[in-house]
Amino acid sequence: MVDMVQEIWDILVIAILRGGLYALFAVGLSLVFGVMNIANFSHGEFYMIGAYFAFFGVTMLHLGPLPSILMAGLLAFLIGIIVERGLFNPLRKRSKKGWLMNTFLLTLGISIIMQNGARMIWGSKFYGITQYWQGRTSIFTSMEIANDRIVAFVIAISAIALLWYFLTYSRTGRAIRAVSQDETGAILMGIDLNWIHTLTFSLSCLLAAIAGASLLSINPAFPTMGVIPLYKSWFVLILVGMGNIWGTIYGGLIVGLLETVSIKLFGAGWQDVISLTVIILILLFKPSGLFAKKGVKSVLE
Amino acid sequence: MKRFIMMSEKAYQPLGKIGIKPQIVILFCGLLLAPLFIEDEFTLRILISSLLFGGLAMAFDFTSGFINIVNFGFAAFTGLGAYTSALVAINLGLSPWIGILLASLLAGVIGLGLGLLTIRLGGIFAACMAWFLALALMAVTANWVGLTRGHSGLSVPPLFETIKNLPYYYTILLFIILIYFLLTIISKSKTGLAFRAIGQDIVAASSSGLFATKYKIINFTISCCLAGLLGGFFAHFVGVLTPQVLHTRNTVEVMVISYLGGRGTIWGGLVSALIMIPLMENMKGLMELRMLIYGAIMIFVMIFYPRGLAGLWESGINFFKRKGGFLG
Repeated sequence: MVDMVQEIWDILVIAILRGGLYALFAVGLSLVFGVMNIANFSHGEFYMIGAYFAFFGVTMLHLGPLPSILMAGLLAFLIGIIVERGLFNPLRKRSKKGWLMNTFLLTLGISIIMQNGARMIWGSKFYGITQYWQGRTSIFTSMEIANDRIVAFVIAISAIALLWYFLTYSRTGRAIRAVSQDETGAILMGIDLNWIHTLTFSLSCLLAAIAGASLLSINPAFPTMGVIPLYKSWFVLILVGMGNIWGTIYGGLIVGLLETVSIKLFGAGWQDVISLTVIILILLFKPSGLFAKKGVKSVLE
Repeated sequence: MKRFIMMSEKAYQPLGKIGIKPQIVILFCGLLLAPLFIEDEFTLRILISSLLFGGLAMAFDFTSGFINIVNFGFAAFTGLGAYTSALVAINLGLSPWIGILLASLLAGVIGLGLGLLTIRLGGIFAACMAWFLALALMAVTANWVGLTRGHSGLSVPPLFETIKNLPYYYTILLFIILIYFLLTIISKSKTGLAFRAIGQDIVAASSSGLFATKYKIINFTISCCLAGLLGGFFAHFVGVLTPQVLHTRNTVEVMVISYLGGRGTIWGGLVSALIMIPLMENMKGLMELRMLIYGAIMIFVMIFYPRGLAGLWESGINFFKRKGGFLG
């Protein structure tokens, strides 16, 4: 009996630690989708870039862990500005019809270029560090957990909380929410749409890069490392529905739990199959997602 | 010049209904005669894979260009066809030809199932679900080592007894010609009109009494069937299968070729495959640069020239017509 409780507790802790990062990653995706109506398939590449920047921050500039992570986030923020101004802004002026599908293909192009650009510059090598913070802790679990994982989780949750605070209480945050609800109305209220779009996109890049940077010691930087978090966060988004920050956290935790349990039961490698099956089952019965808000874009559009 | 074009247009009008256009006739005749001039087996192999990709791009364009749904798990259906055909040939000892047919059938059934489940979702979510299916199938093929031998690769019996590439060439050419006419005839029929209407404006199409979901599922199933068929051929052509066949990279490659060819044209994808694949083969030494070029082409075509190669061809024809007008 005690063994079983212990095992369940172990699974829960690992699932929560995993899920927090999925949530951080999915929040950025959800934000861009909600505000700009872009299904951003290059989100994973900003995660990758974040990991590389943090690596160079730690090893070459000899910054501490937190400054490196922050630097990675800020650099990704700048790249986000360039990408939005250089690519999405011109496309928005040209196309109104089929915007969602066009931008989807555009982000795929960006993703291919960034992945292979990274491979050209840094090669197919793993750039990793052994640890940010020393030591391992046991949170009443049977095995000890690296402190890095716990700190990464704390960073993820505080980043989400900050984002929530920013969106809810600041003037700019309110403008972002206004744009996501009704673009025309927002323009009429004097909101500069271009500026809001650029800010939203770069914010989501920042969040992705922070996720990548804070996990550097666990997942070393590699050109194609962004693919897995990308589809995991699409799992999360489809599961919970769009435009719901707190829902994304639950979604992240659910996906984390699903994976941990399926690794425990079926062995590694089958977790995607299990997650996919569960998601299709959920969509069959609740096509708008588990926590979809009324009036927000759902899976059915 | 002008008179010639006008005459040819008049003569070909009834034929145009089933997709026989002058440029297509010339293209297919050229492809039929090509082996007479190609001695080298390697060039022939490249031509075979160009045709294969051309066929895939046509099948892809049939969903993305008409009903405006991007099948982001396209490689899953090709890979499913490839593995089905290979496993049938290995484990049941049936002829590869039956295997290819079964592959097409199974890919169609899975496509139908996925369509029934997910196609009522909005465009981007249907794309995502197809992608998840591809990821899941790839995980299954990689992990079910007992059946598929996983990453160490499954060796597949060849389609013909010879080591020559010529029989493969004519087989795939026959497939391509059949696929081209099948897709064109469907797209020129009433059903094809319905596909186009749904792709352009689903609300307007539904309110004119079209049952959009039904047409979408029909379209999706046909496309998946063809992907499975070509996948089956691919398995017996290359001889070794790894789970990498189902990788998203392959979907992206087909997608870029098809978009470069021009949306909703069917033949555009074939032409752009015949240009792109040999071109990329020549640059094989530059692995990363090759993919970078794919990405750049994708962005360029998206932002600046969404009509693709087919659009370029039409502008050229119009230009000549106007020129002819001035001269005459």
